[in-house]
Amino acid sequence: MSADTCRVTLELFEGPLDLLLYLIRRDELDIWDVPVAHVARQYLQYIRAARELNLDVASEYLVMAATLTSIKSRSLLPRRGEGDEEEDPRALLLRQLVLYRAFREVSGELREIENVWRDSFPGPGERGRWSRDAAPMDPGQASILDLVGALEELQADRLPPPPARFERPRMSLAECIVDIETSLRDGSPMGFRRLVGANAGPERIIYYFLALLELAVRGRVVIRQTSPLGELTVAPHMARAPKGAAPE
Amino acid sequence: MILDKLAREIEAIIFAADTPVDMETLTRITGALEDSVQQALDRISGSLEEGGHAMMLRRVGSGWRIVTDPALGDVVSLLFEDRRPGKLSRASLETLAVVAYSQPCTRAEVEEIRGVGCDSALRTLLERNMIRIAGRREQPGRPLLYATTQEFLLYFGLDDLDHLPRLDEITELLQTPPEELQRPDHPEGEKASPKEEDAVQDG
Repeated sequence: MSADTCRVTLELFEGPLDLLLYLIRRDELDIWDVPVAHVARQYLQYIRAARELNLDVASEYLVMAATLTSIKSRSLLPRRGEGDEEEDPRALLLRQLVLYRAFREVSGELREIENVWRDSFPGPGERGRWSRDAAPMDPGQASILDLVGALEELQADRLPPPPARFERPRMSLAECIVDIETSLRDGSPMGFRRLVGANAGPERIIYYFLALLELAVRGRVVIRQTSPLGELTVAPHMARAPKGAAPE
Repeated sequence: MILDKLAREIEAIIFAADTPVDMETLTRITGALEDSVQQALDRISGSLEEGGHAMMLRRVGSGWRIVTDPALGDVVSLLFEDRRPGKLSRASLETLAVVAYSQPCTRAEVEEIRGVGCDSALRTLLERNMIRIAGRREQPGRPLLYATTQEFLLYFGLDDLDHLPRLDEITELLQTPPEELQRPDHPEGEKASPKEEDAVQDG
């Protein structure tokens, strides 16, 4: 198989399942009992040839290549008892192939129906769909009817946004700062946990932590941590020296 | 066949209507009973056929409409030249088939079956009003659900979704878990592979 054949055909496929079905059909294989090793080899040959031509091989094709390789290698390993495994990837692939094949055949039938009924035209009452105003557009364009339809949809509000509740913060940074300074008034160091208080919720913890950082920036407190992720010890900055002179 | 008053009224209503007309509308407007309306519809259909008319009465979804005989499509379509959308692409058609048989379904479910991304195909189908957004699935991410429209039925001349080709077979396939999937008993269109020894040689 030449690289050129690959290029031409790969563009004709509607994805990896389509390519696999083609290979199965071409080699007259039984879809219910696909020899994975054989198919995997053929499949990879296509992908490799396409890549040699520097074609963009869509990621779906690469995922399928990985799946096939994994099924193949799995089949070489001894089975580890029954029922203790997750879903059999081979069975999953078979289901995908059979389902996709069914849909491919059915879309062929729909195509035939389309060919017939596309040529049947509605009465003048339904002519709106064929009038110049409502003329079907190229993809990406809209007619007046589209606009009206979109407006109706907006008004009907068929898809309300998910319910959400936002509460206003119940504390302010300034309050937290005052509170921390009050707690540290007697000059002795204090653990962060005690500062925040027992049973503090995440919101309170975050606010106190931000307040602490603010105080540290202002040079009002000294924070120590003896070990990574350990308890923070907070002490008032005793020096009370003019800004910039503090050694900390 | 000379049509009676009721049949003529119904024919006129369907002809003038801007959408397919359902039974409820026909009984309400004509004041006739459902049975009489049904018989009148049969008479209209029969008379159009007998008279060799270019129009036919078609059922679509829950309603009826009068359309031209598709056999005359090559002539009539000249009237609507460049005002008519082209045929659906293969990707769109496949995507539409998956939506039609497994609706309502999410994009991920369609992609799972087709094995490729379906974003642009779904967008085309939405634009052409073949599918619609039918809500959201209550699962993480609340993905959109897609379903087919009346326009889809009109386009394919289907009475309703029960008339999709091979509906039972595909519904059953969709519901079968992978481990229970088995070769169907009845022979399929294709014969089984004669080269089963491949399975042994390879690997």
